[in-house]
Amino acid sequence: MNRNLAKIWLAVLLLLFSINALAQDIITGKVIDAKTKEALPGATVKLEGTTIATSTNQDGDYSLSISNLNGKIHISYIGYISRIIDVSDRKKIDIELDPDVSSLDDVVVIGYGTAKKSDITGSVASISEKDFNKGVNVSAEQLIVGKVAGVQIVQSSGEPGGGISVNIRGMGSLNAGNSPLYVVDGFPIDNSSTVSGTGANFTGMRTARNPLNSINPSDIASIEVLKDASATAIYGSRGANGVVLISTKRGKEGGLKINYDQYYGVQNIMNDLDLLSANDYKTVMNSLIDAGAGAASLKIGEFSGGTDWLSQMYQKDAPIQNHNISFSGGNQSTKYHTSLNYFDQDGVLINSGNKRYSARINLEHTNKNFKFGTNITSSYVSDKYVANGFDLNERAGIIYAATTYEPTLSIFDKDNNYSLSKNMNIDNPLAIANGKTSLSQLYRTLGTIYGELKFLKDFTARLNLGADITSQRRDTYVDRQTIEGRANGGIASILSGTNNSFLSELTLNYAKKIDKHDFNVLLGTTGQQFNFFDQSSQGSGFPSDATKTDNMSLGDPTRFIVTSGRSRNSLLSYLGRVNYNLSEKYLFTASLRIDGSSRFGENNKYGIFPSFAFAWRLENEELIKDLDYISSLKLRSSWGQTGNQAIGNYQSMTTYTSGQKSVIGNQQVSTTTPNRVPNPNLKWETSEQLNFGLDYGLYNNRITGSFDWFVKTTRDMLLNLPIPRTTGFTTMMTNVGSVRNGGFEVLLNSRNLTGLLSWETTLNLTWLNNKVLDLGGVENIFSGSAGGTSNVAIIKESLPMYSFFGYIIDGVWQVGDDFSTTKDKVKPGDFKYRDLNGDMVVNASDRQVLGSPFPNFMASLTNNFSYKGFNLNVFFDGVWGAKMLNNNLVDTYFPANLMRNRLSEPLLNRWTSSNPSNEHPSFINPLGQGKKEVNNYTVEDASFLRLNTVKLGYDFSINNSVVKGLGVFVTGQNLAMWTKYKGYDPSINPNGGGVRIDWNAFPTARTILFGVNLNL
Amino acid sequence: MKKKIKNILLGTLVTSTVFLTGCNDFLKEEVFSQLAPENYLKTKEGLTSVLYETYAKAANMNSNNSIYVLGPQEFMTDVLYQSGDNVEATIRNFREFNWEPSMDFLTQNWDSYYQCIRNANIVLENIQNSNLPASDKTLFEAEARFLRAVSYYKLYFFFGSVPLRTSTTQELSLPRASEEELKQFIIAELKFASENLPNPGAELQKYRAHKAAASGYLMKFYLNTKNWGEASAVSSQFLNSFKKYALFAEYKDLFKVENENNSEYIWVRPAIPSADRLTANSWSNVSFPDNFKSSPETGLMFKSTWLNWPNEYRIYDKFYETFEVKDKRKDLMITYYINTSDQRVELKGNDNIRSFKYWPDQNHVGASHGNDIPEIRFADILLSRAEALNELNGPTAEAIQLVNQVRTRAGLSALKLENIPSKEAFRDILLTERGHEFYNEGHRRMDLIRTGKFVSNAQERGKNAQSHHLLFPIPQVVIDSDPAIQQNPNY
Repeated sequence: MNRNLAKIWLAVLLLLFSINALAQDIITGKVIDAKTKEALPGATVKLEGTTIATSTNQDGDYSLSISNLNGKIHISYIGYISRIIDVSDRKKIDIELDPDVSSLDDVVVIGYGTAKKSDITGSVASISEKDFNKGVNVSAEQLIVGKVAGVQIVQSSGEPGGGISVNIRGMGSLNAGNSPLYVVDGFPIDNSSTVSGTGANFTGMRTARNPLNSINPSDIASIEVLKDASATAIYGSRGANGVVLISTKRGKEGGLKINYDQYYGVQNIMNDLDLLSANDYKTVMNSLIDAGAGAASLKIGEFSGGTDWLSQMYQKDAPIQNHNISFSGGNQSTKYHTSLNYFDQDGVLINSGNKRYSARINLEHTNKNFKFGTNITSSYVSDKYVANGFDLNERAGIIYAATTYEPTLSIFDKDNNYSLSKNMNIDNPLAIANGKTSLSQLYRTLGTIYGELKFLKDFTARLNLGADITSQRRDTYVDRQTIEGRANGGIASILSGTNNSFLSELTLNYAKKIDKHDFNVLLGTTGQQFNFFDQSSQGSGFPSDATKTDNMSLGDPTRFIVTSGRSRNSLLSYLGRVNYNLSEKYLFTASLRIDGSSRFGENNKYGIFPSFAFAWRLENEELIKDLDYISSLKLRSSWGQTGNQAIGNYQSMTTYTSGQKSVIGNQQVSTTTPNRVPNPNLKWETSEQLNFGLDYGLYNNRITGSFDWFVKTTRDMLLNLPIPRTTGFTTMMTNVGSVRNGGFEVLLNSRNLTGLLSWETTLNLTWLNNKVLDLGGVENIFSGSAGGTSNVAIIKESLPMYSFFGYIIDGVWQVGDDFSTTKDKVKPGDFKYRDLNGDMVVNASDRQVLGSPFPNFMASLTNNFSYKGFNLNVFFDGVWGAKMLNNNLVDTYFPANLMRNRLSEPLLNRWTSSNPSNEHPSFINPLGQGKKEVNNYTVEDASFLRLNTVKLGYDFSINNSVVKGLGVFVTGQNLAMWTKYKGYDPSINPNGGGVRIDWNAFPTARTILFGVNLNL
Repeated sequence: MKKKIKNILLGTLVTSTVFLTGCNDFLKEEVFSQLAPENYLKTKEGLTSVLYETYAKAANMNSNNSIYVLGPQEFMTDVLYQSGDNVEATIRNFREFNWEPSMDFLTQNWDSYYQCIRNANIVLENIQNSNLPASDKTLFEAEARFLRAVSYYKLYFFFGSVPLRTSTTQELSLPRASEEELKQFIIAELKFASENLPNPGAELQKYRAHKAAASGYLMKFYLNTKNWGEASAVSSQFLNSFKKYALFAEYKDLFKVENENNSEYIWVRPAIPSADRLTANSWSNVSFPDNFKSSPETGLMFKSTWLNWPNEYRIYDKFYETFEVKDKRKDLMITYYINTSDQRVELKGNDNIRSFKYWPDQNHVGASHGNDIPEIRFADILLSRAEALNELNGPTAEAIQLVNQVRTRAGLSALKLENIPSKEAFRDILLTERGHEFYNEGHRRMDLIRTGKFVSNAQERGKNAQSHHLLFPIPQVVIDSDPAIQQNPNY
C-alpha cells in the first residue's frame, strides 16, 4: 500500500517536473515592514529547498520564476523574522515581515570583527539606533546614558558640549585614566583634548569639553560596549577600562534614500540655587554684625534695588537646533552613506555655546572576492566659553561671583561702570561674563581606508589604514572691564595644538565549518602612533581692547610669554583569537594580544594579555528544548587580563624641562629642572576580570535579558606614589597596589503588549562596589580640592577609592551644654563636631569616612508605547548611594569672609538665642574652629531619580512617490528630578575624575525640543 | 589564482616584517620638548641653567610665595596679622597658634628648599665631568654649596633638624639628621662658600652669590644658634673685609625698586614684575586698605592699575606705638587714608595700620611688583654684632656705637652707655630696635625666639602659645611621604 502510494507520488512529481521544464510560472509581490508598511529593499525571496532566489528591488518588489505553484517561499531580511509561505497557486503574494525585536541573530560588532549575538561568549552590550536616547545628544556617549548596565556616564556639568566621564564597571585606576577606549569604525581614537588650557586669567571647568563632540551622533548606527575581559583583551593595554565600539551608518542596497532630521528647542535651567535676597542679606548681615561677626563699619545701610546676580547669568529660553541630512543607498557592489550635520546650542549661561558642522562619506565597493571601502568624517566645532570654574578671587568665574556678590549692589555704579564689591577681590559677575571672552575652533578629520580579500575559500585578509587629525586653536581675551584686564592693559592668549594618530593594521581571518565543528581564527598585527604638538602665546599691555587676540604684536614686548611642546608615543601589537563552536551548544573563545608601548620602561616594553571564555547554549540541549517557555538560554563564563597604559609620556626616563624662572643680572632668566625620578621598570596596569553571565529569552523571546556577575581586580596600579619629599620630588610613577571592582548587572526587556497598542519595557540594574585592596605601603593618599577646601577624599586600603573624609557635625552647641567636655574655644551657636578620639580637642585626627563617590546601585527604566502613528518614549534613570561634596554649601557655612552672599536656608534658620537651632550654627564666627569644611553637612547624598526624557512622536502615514515618511515629535529632557541634594544637579561632577566636587557648576538645562523627520 | 595567493602571502609577510624589524625604533621613546640629561649636564649651558633654578628655589618667590614665606615669620608675632579673603582661614591658624601639620604655607617653606638642595646636588655631581673651565668648576661648586646651605639654614630654623641630603643617590627614605650634624654641615658649607665665592661686586652677574652673603649667613647662623663668640668673630671679619657696605641714607627710600642697587643690601630675594608672577613681590596688593585712593602721610596716590586685594596685612596699633615719635622708620606705615569717596578713614585705633615698606612699583605688571626683599642687609650686621657683643660682655661702647649708627639713620638720638644698666636691658633695647628696623622683613619670629620672648610675648597677647611652637610642625605630606621622618613634639 505504502509502496504503491510512493510510486504514484513519484509519478506525479515526475509529471510536474516535466511540465515545469516546459512552462515556468512567475510570482510577483511586495515585501513590506508589517509595522511601518515601508517597503523592504534587498529582502531575499527563495523557493524552499532550491537555490532559486531573488531579492526585492528598491520599492520592495520582487519577481521569482518558479516551476511549481504548490511550493513554499522563504522570505528573509536582516533584522526581521523570516517567514515561509505556501504559494498555493497564487501568482501575486505580498508579504509583511515583523521586525525581529529579540534580534538574537543580530550581528554585533566586536573587536577586530563581527559575530552573531548568539555566538558571543563575552559580556557585550549592543545598542542600536532605535534604542538611543532621545533628545539632545551632543556626543556619542550621551546616546547610551543609562542604557547599559554596569556603565556610569557622568556629565561634568550642564555646559554645552561639556566633558563626560564614562566608567565601565567602576573605576580601577588612580592615575592612568578610567576612560574606556573608543573605537570608531575600527579606528582606536585618542580622546584627549588638543588644547587643554583655558588662556590666562580665564577660569574653566576642570574637565575640558568633550573631544568626541566632533563625531556626529546622527551618523552612528550602533554602539557596542565591551565589558568583560573576553571581549576587551583583544585591545590589550588599552582594554582595562572597557571598550566602546562606535559603528557608523552604511548604505544599504536599494535606491537613494534621503533623510532629513531637524529639531529646534529651548533650554532653561532645571534648578536654581536659593540665595539670600537683597533684603534678607541686609537683615542677616546686619544682625550678624550686631552679634559680633564683623566690624560695625561693614553694616549695610540703605541700598537701591539690589541685584539678583544669578538670574543675570542665566540665558532664558536658550535656543538649540540640529539639522541632519543624509543620502544613502547602493547596489550589490557599491554602497554609500553620506551626511551633513549642523548643530548649534546656546548654553543656559550667557555667552556660552557650542556649534558643530560635520560631514561624512562612507563608501564600500565589492568586486567578487575583493572589497574595499572608506569611512571619512570631517568636522568643525566652535566652542564659546563663559568664564566659569574653580578659580578664586580676580580669576573667579561667573557662578562663583554671582553666588558670592552682595545682592545689595546694583549692576552699575554711579559712573555707569560695573559696580565692584569692596569686600572681596572678585569682579562684577557681568564684567566677567562680558569682559572675559574665549572662543575655540576645532577641526577634526577621522578617516579609514580598508581592503578585504577573501581567498582559498576560508581565508579573509584585511588591511586597515587610518588617520585621525585634530587641530584646535583657542583665543582668550581679558579686557579692561575686569580687575586683571585693567591691571595688565588687557591679556590675550592664543593656545593651539595638533594631535594626530596613524593606524596600520593587518588581520587574517580563517573561518571553517566541519560537521559540528565551527572554527573562526583571527591573527593580526597593528601599529599606531600618536603625536602631540602644542604652542601658546600670551601678551598683555595693549593700547586698546579693540584688537583682542588678533594683533598680539601690539602688546608690551617685554611681557610676551611663549611656550611650545611636542611628544609622541606608539603602540605595536600582535593579536590572535580563536572561536570554536561545537554543535551550536558549546562555544569557546581564546584571545591573546601582545602589546608594546613606548611609554613603558626599557625593562618592560611588551605585555601579554590573554583571555578565555566558555559559553553553553542550554537552549540546544534536549532537556531545555522541551520547555516551551524558554526560547533561548546561554550560560557564559570568561576570564582575562587587560591593561591600562594611559599615563603621560616619558614617565620612565629622567628628562629636563623648563624650570622656575630666576632673577639673575636684573632680568628674568629661564632655567631647567629635572622632571621626575625615573622608573625604568614602569609597565601597564593589569586588570584581571572574571565574569559569569546568563542570557535568556522567554515566551518566544517576548522577554529577553541577561544577568552578569563580575569581579575585576586591577593590580600594578600606576600610582604617583608619594616619595620622600626630601628628594625634591613629590611623587614617582610606580606600579603598586590594587583595586577591586565587583558588581552585578541585570538587563530585562519585555514586550508587554504587541499589536495595535504596543508597549515595551527595558530595565537596567547595576550593583557596584569598589574597594582599594592594597596601596603598596602608603597609608593614605589625600586628594581633591576646590577653592579653600582641600584634602576632600582619601584613598586608603579597604575603602572605596576617593572616599570622602571629614568631620561629623552632631549639632550645635546650646546655652545649657556642658562646655567642660571640650578644650576647644566654642560658644553656644557653634557647630558641635564629634570628638572621635575623645581627647577633648577636635582636630585632623577626628576625621572619618563620610561616604563613597560611587553609587552602589544604578537603575534605568525605558518604556516605549506606540499606537497607530503615535509613539511615546519615557525614560527614567537614577543612582543611589553616591555622595558629592557640595562646595557651595562650604562657602555658605565657611565663607572666606563675612560679607558674601550665600545659600539662604541655613542663614535664615541660623542659631540665635531665641532660635536655638540644633541644625544651623550662629554664623558669628564660622572659622572659629578652624577649617573643617569637609563634613557630613557639605558631603551630601547625591542619590537621585530623574525623569530623564519623554518623547512623543507621530508618524504620518504618507507614502507616495516623493515622500516616504514624515514624522514629528516633541521631546522633553530633564523634566523632573527627585533628590535631597541641594546644588544644581546631583548627577554631575564638575571636578571630573574620581573626587566628586560640585562647585560653581554650569547649571543643567531642562530642554523642550520640537522636531521633524522626513524621508524621501 | 595561485599567483594571487602568493602575492597576498608575500604582502602579509612583508608588512609583518616591516613591523617586526621596525619595532625597536617604533617603540623607542622619542623626546622632543624635553632634554636628556646625559649630554645636557656636561655642558656649561646645561649646568648654568640648572644652577639658575637652584637660585630660584632658594629665593622662593613664585606666585605669592614672596609674602607667604615672609608671613609665617610675622603672623604670630606682635608686628602683624592678616585677615580677609580665603587665606584668612589658614592664617588665622598661625595667628591663634592652632598649628597643625596639614595647614597651608608649611609645604611652601619645605618643598622649594629641598628642590634647591636637589638641584645643588645635581650641579655638584656633574661639575667634574663637565666641560666647565677649572675656575668655573670651583665657582659653580661654591655657589651650589652656598645655596644648599642657605636652604638648610631656612629649614633648620623653621622645622628644626631635617634630613640631610647631600647627593641624589642617597636612599629615597632618609630620617632627620642629628641637630649637631646639621649644624656642623651648615657651618662647614657656609665657610667653604665664603672662602671660594667671589668678593661682592666681583660676581659674574648681579644676584649671584658672593663672599659677603655667605659670611652674613654664617654670622646669622651663629647668632641664631647663640654661638655669640663665633657670631662676634664673623661679624668683625665681615666689617673688616667688606668695606663697600654702608647704611643707605634714607630709610624710607631704601626699599624702593629704583634704589635696589644700594650699598646696604647684602643678600636679597630678588623680584622682577612679570605677567607670570614667577618672581613677584606681592606685598603691595595686601597693603592697600579698602577703596584706597591716597595717603597724605606718605604722599602715596593709588595708581588705577595697581591691585587692591581683600587679603589684608594689618599692623597692630601696639607695635606702632612702640616707635619713638621722631623715628623716621615708621613713616612707611600709614595711620589713615583717603578713600575713593574722598572720605578720611582712620586705620590707627582699629589695629589696621598698613605698611608700605615695599613701596608700590610704578612699573608693576598686574599684581606683580619688583621690590627685592632683603634677607641680609648691613643694618643687620651692625645690630647682630651689637647683640653678640652684649651677650658676651654686656653693654659696651662698641656695641652701643653700632646701634647708634642705625638709630642715627632713623633720626633718633644716640644711646648712651651710662643709661643702660644691664645686659638684659640692652638685650631688650636691641630687640625693640630690631623690631623697628626689620619689621616686614621676616626676622621677628627668630628675634623673639632667640631672646626667649616668643612664647611669653604671644601669651601676653592672649594667644595659646606653647614651647613646642618654637618649631613649626613638619608638613603632613612630608610625614606621609617618608615614615622615617619623625614629627616635631606635640604636633
